[in-house]
Amino acid sequence: MSRLSYIGARLVKTVLITIAVILLSFFLIRLAPGDTATVMAGQAGFADEAFMKSLRAEYGLDQPVPVQLWKYVQAVAQGDLGNSFVRRQPVLDVILERLPNTVLLNAFALLVAIAGGVLLGMIAARRPGSVGDASVTVLSMLFYAMPQFWLGMMAMLVFSVWLSWLPPFGIETMGADYTGLARIGDIAVHMILPGVTLALYFMASYARLTRTAMIEVADQDFVKTARAKGISEGQVARRHILRNALIPLITFAGLQAAILVGGSVLVENVFSWPGIGTLAYEAVTTRDNPLLLGIFIVTAILVSLFNLVTDIAYSIADPRVELGR
Amino acid sequence: MDFDRRAMLGAAAAGMLARPAWAQKPGTTARMRTINAMMTDEPAHLNYPLFNTRIMQEICGNINESLLLFDWQFKPKSNLARGHEMSPDGMRYTFHLRPDVAWHDGAPFTARDVAFSCGVMLPQLNPRSRGAFSHVREIKAVDRYTVRFEMKEPFNAFLLSLMASSAPMMPAHIYEGTNFRTNPYNFKPVGTGPFKFNRWARGQYIHLTRNEKYWRPDQPGMDGIYYRVCPTPEQRLVAMESGAVDLAMADDIDTVVNKRMVANPNVVARSDAFNGTGEICVMEMNHRRWPFSDRRFRAAYMHAINREFLVKAINFGLGKVAHSPIPSDLPYYDDKALTKYHYDPARARALLDEMGLKPGKGGVRHRFGIMMIPDGGGYWTRMAHYIKQALSEVGLEASLESTDWPTFSRRSGNWEFDVDCNSYGQYGDPAIGTARFFLSSNIRKGVPQTNIQGYNNPEVDSLFAKAAVAVDAAEAQAHYSRLQQVLTHDVAMLWMFERKPMFFYNKRLKNVIMGPNGPADGFGSVRLA
Amino acid sequence: MKDFLRVFLSRPIPLIGLVIFVAIVAVALLAPFVFARGPFTIVGMPLLPPGAPGLLVGSDVLGRDMAVGLAYGARISLLVGITSTLCAVGIGVLLGAVAGYYGGWLDDLLMRVTEFFQIIPSFVLLMVLVAFLQPSLSSTVIGIALVTWPQVARVVRGEFLSLRGREFVQAARTLGMGDARIIFTQVLPNALPPIIVVSSMMVGTAILTESALSFLGLGDPNLLSWGSMIGGSRSAMWVAWWTTVMPGLAIMITVLALNFIGDGLNDALNPRRRR
Repeated sequence: MSRLSYIGARLVKTVLITIAVILLSFFLIRLAPGDTATVMAGQAGFADEAFMKSLRAEYGLDQPVPVQLWKYVQAVAQGDLGNSFVRRQPVLDVILERLPNTVLLNAFALLVAIAGGVLLGMIAARRPGSVGDASVTVLSMLFYAMPQFWLGMMAMLVFSVWLSWLPPFGIETMGADYTGLARIGDIAVHMILPGVTLALYFMASYARLTRTAMIEVADQDFVKTARAKGISEGQVARRHILRNALIPLITFAGLQAAILVGGSVLVENVFSWPGIGTLAYEAVTTRDNPLLLGIFIVTAILVSLFNLVTDIAYSIADPRVELGR
Repeated sequence: MDFDRRAMLGAAAAGMLARPAWAQKPGTTARMRTINAMMTDEPAHLNYPLFNTRIMQEICGNINESLLLFDWQFKPKSNLARGHEMSPDGMRYTFHLRPDVAWHDGAPFTARDVAFSCGVMLPQLNPRSRGAFSHVREIKAVDRYTVRFEMKEPFNAFLLSLMASSAPMMPAHIYEGTNFRTNPYNFKPVGTGPFKFNRWARGQYIHLTRNEKYWRPDQPGMDGIYYRVCPTPEQRLVAMESGAVDLAMADDIDTVVNKRMVANPNVVARSDAFNGTGEICVMEMNHRRWPFSDRRFRAAYMHAINREFLVKAINFGLGKVAHSPIPSDLPYYDDKALTKYHYDPARARALLDEMGLKPGKGGVRHRFGIMMIPDGGGYWTRMAHYIKQALSEVGLEASLESTDWPTFSRRSGNWEFDVDCNSYGQYGDPAIGTARFFLSSNIRKGVPQTNIQGYNNPEVDSLFAKAAVAVDAAEAQAHYSRLQQVLTHDVAMLWMFERKPMFFYNKRLKNVIMGPNGPADGFGSVRLA
Repeated sequence: MKDFLRVFLSRPIPLIGLVIFVAIVAVALLAPFVFARGPFTIVGMPLLPPGAPGLLVGSDVLGRDMAVGLAYGARISLLVGITSTLCAVGIGVLLGAVAGYYGGWLDDLLMRVTEFFQIIPSFVLLMVLVAFLQPSLSSTVIGIALVTWPQVARVVRGEFLSLRGREFVQAARTLGMGDARIIFTQVLPNALPPIIVVSSMMVGTAILTESALSFLGLGDPNLLSWGSMIGGSRSAMWVAWWTTVMPGLAIMITVLALNFIGDGLNDALNPRRRR
């Protein structure tokens, strides 16, 4: 299969997943008790029949389900995700407002996780069975066993409540209204706690993965050849072993993107990070159905696009890999 | 130097942290003259009458003003109306408007705006106004600055229904003839108040700036207000303690940490800022279902709960046990008329025995559900947990049902519940805030926050009707006394406690709370201390 | 079997895990007998620190004994962890076996579905499911099972795919055995080791997931779970650290023990790693 048709097939898959997400979410939301009109009545604290009826008509809730679904799919195809019940703004706008914050946080977390994981993995793989190796294993088991949100709260307790080193909440200092470099610095400082909390879980798995891959690769012929040629041990590790160990890491990162987004919901919630995770939680609690649908669709598309990218990166990084399956 | 040291000691003594390294740096003058407030969540829009919740009152109270303000004794004071008269028979009210008031867009504020607001927009959007203005036959703009309300019958709570939190004036030139729900000005409101809408950064803040042309020459005392989104209670506590935020209202600060806030030397704590609301936390029962229909069951329920403990330990002392449908510090409260239900589990058991609800397997007499308010683990949740425990002591097994707002509204509106938690505000007069929960004419299926219990007592209906139109104050009092007698004897609702939400503000400010309507009257008077 | 036990118990880590796990199970089972009045009973003033008279780990925001809460919380965590895993394994084994055994379009369909579950953010889906079914113990269990079964299905399908061509399956077929009988009596027993390893790990994950849901307020309000203890103490964290630290430690220790056991099972059941 040529690379181009491979990418084409992967794109088709992405589209199919999107359609499946729309169908699933739409029918899920039909299961829910309480419709928009009652949402709004509840928020206003009062309402009457005429008001509720006009609301139901306004949002098309008085039409049969298949009609509602068809209209929804049509609209989505045109990039219209509907209007948020609660915010009364286009869903896409609401999501796009928050999305950059989440992308920023997740990208930072992914970077920290890969850098930290590879570093720890290399340390561990250097002398399997040593103290360094054992402590990496212990740490990774600990991070696997901790609830992510609790880890975040503990980090906050230590670094904000007790030590007062890092700001606990939000994306920037409230009311400071910094601009330029000062603002970037401010955001960076706010990103440390949530970002590292999100990263630690993945760092543990990346460390394990790197360790295994490096130990396996180190036994292979081309590394032995390199060693025999008299290339220094450090160079062997960097040039040959690491490059090959990175390949499974890329695929793994792609597969874990969905988990990253899930973790985001919790970590953003703990640190009041104004991203899509807190938005998803708000949407669930306020029963903002169109917003929830939108978040589903947007995150699913993003994650599957990210998977597409990692697949392609994989095929480039390791030419031995067959395209397709 | 010395001052810093003392402040540090004070903070340490109060069990607080020294100012953390990441906290606010001492600000510039511009920052000094800006008020920072918080929002637990963002409102959907800023159309005050369309969405009259507490957060809207706190924001829009600075933008849209009312005809009258009220002092601590609930006596009217001039505001947009510089004077008013009532005819002796209570059938006509005349308001004289200030001639020097302009909307934020420069248009003059006139009688047309009043007639539009009170005659069209408020009754259409705000059910509380709808009830109050239903007594009005006609609103006449006599001239540019004079408005006359002709009544169908005398309504003694009429002036109170013009309180800032109930009847904000809306611009006729912007809203008249448009769809109120979709008007673009819902997102950039126009009013006459001391602060103008400036910017809404979604997910972050709403910013108001000073109205340079405000009609009170000495106001506003500050340059602007930021309302910042702070979704979690921990975040709000830290924001207030670090000085990042100057004001914390009502539900902003969890009662768990109230003591710590009160002890904070940099913060002023007020418990009277929401007196005008007169909020009572209650539990409602579905009277259509047995045994909730039985007065003895409701009385037993009250006797089973230690409400003193509820206030002291569960709500950290914020509030007062409620014995009446009318808050104890508001007009018409009559202590002598009340049947009180003190904590007495033995009495509760006896009443249940008398009803024939004998303990069955495991000592359980009856099982039912309590629908909880979705407050994210705050005092409502804690109250429900305590009550479940207290009821189990007398053999009642309550199962707690968690909800989200839409579910709560749907189930309560459709009468699909056994017992729920709720609260109501009197808003100055029983006829405005309280009657709606007891009138049989307000039993309306599908509509939450009405008489969802299905309480139906013709005497109560007629007493409320007579009390509202009594011209003589003593006559109104007599009706309301009798009402309290009947309602408390019936246990017409499970009154838990009068909530006294706290209002905290940073010591650097003064003139923050000027009347019983608290933040709903706006922050025009606020100055640097 | 003997062989398995010897390998499993020969290493300290799985043994430690097993001991801790048995202790937690004991606490969970004995809680109603030791603390008969239940975890919601208010015993004193709120937010008393650990070591206050009669309070081993302090009191919470309602003045309840946190030690009792932790003991009862173990019941919920284990119950949810084990039942949701059983449900997920049930669905996963059934669908995975059918897909792996028959192959063809059924297999294709199942693979697409499991891929789908890998791509979508399943925690968000779980929040929606639980919120829509109304938060309760059963909706938590159903929700977790619905988003985790594809993991099991993938493993089972893989095993079946490689086992279905083996001689003993052919033999069973020539003997005239029906498909259902072959699947359950011939292939499944041989596919069990990886299923056991995967499920032991899933119990820990399910406990973590349950705690996350309860933390967000999407748990059963009538039950005190470790996650809801943390969630209910969020605003108290700044004045009473123990209210959030203790339940979190309980979760961590439980999941750690389960992972240790899972590791041991993996070593003992995976012939490739047993050198």
